[in-house]
Amino acid sequence: MGFVRLVLFGCLALSVVYLSISIYSRSVRREKLENAWAEENEGSQDMDALDAFVAEGIKAYNASFRPKLIGLVYIIPTLIVFAIIYLTNEN
Amino acid sequence: MHRIKVTFRVLVALIIGVILHYALPQHDIVRVVNTYQERQDLNDWTRIFWARPDDQSATLVNRDVQFIQTVKKKTFLLGFVPRDATEVMVYRNEDTGWSWPFYFKFDTASLQTEADDLRSTPEQPKWAVMTHYGWRNEYFSAFPNAIAIRPIDGPDARIIPWFNIFFFGFLIVASVFILAMWMQFRERSIDPLLDSAEHRYDEVSADIAQQKGRLTRWLGTWKKKS
Repeated sequence: MGFVRLVLFGCLALSVVYLSISIYSRSVRREKLENAWAEENEGSQDMDALDAFVAEGIKAYNASFRPKLIGLVYIIPTLIVFAIIYLTNEN
Repeated sequence: MHRIKVTFRVLVALIIGVILHYALPQHDIVRVVNTYQERQDLNDWTRIFWARPDDQSATLVNRDVQFIQTVKKKTFLLGFVPRDATEVMVYRNEDTGWSWPFYFKFDTASLQTEADDLRSTPEQPKWAVMTHYGWRNEYFSAFPNAIAIRPIDGPDARIIPWFNIFFFGFLIVASVFILAMWMQFRERSIDPLLDSAEHRYDEVSADIAQQKGRLTRWLGTWKKKS
């Protein structure tokens, strides 16, 4: 029962962390894309072109390997728990 | 207002500090004197100082707990400054199981055997490093929980608290990361909202000014023309 509780709440907490990091990472990417576009088209007010450029960039980002690395949020704590279990109980 | 803010922050820092001091592992240099087992009542508030190894034990009003009696080298500053003086220290030896604090300790019986194996006399001392968490308090009958014991050559061994080094390193990195996330969120999500709200407020007040102008002008038509 204690084990079930740990897995359940652990999963919940890690999901919150996972979602926060995903949103943060995408937001940083979007900002970078906007800045890149503004540098390229200085003084331009063509918001439709900007939106298209950013949408394209976000699509490429979603397809890339980087966002998948955020899945380590689930893997690393699990490995740490296994390591602690081993180190505490080995003689 | 400023004073309330500071008090609140100090309070939060104190509570976190107390929890960490209770739950993080500490290392003592000890000489095991004896081990024993004693039935403990668990039906008052001092229950919080005993572990909850499994669900059965959560409902029990008393159960047997194993203890390790030692003579311990005293230290200053949370163990960073060793001293020559010694004191007695009694550790409890309980499983923590899958619950808080997360040591995942299941080897209580083995640890008790290891402690028994290291028993020694003042004339021929065998020193060991005891890893533990928790506090000793005579008045509340609170005992630190022993996690591991390993023999060392002499009482002057140098201990490096690896876990705590990594833990605080991680804590610093995590706080910087959370701060960066919060700043990004504020910059990208809250500030634009506030900006547009301000913009709308400006528009509305401009509208009101214009309407007022119209109203005054209309009122003005009723004035006597001199």
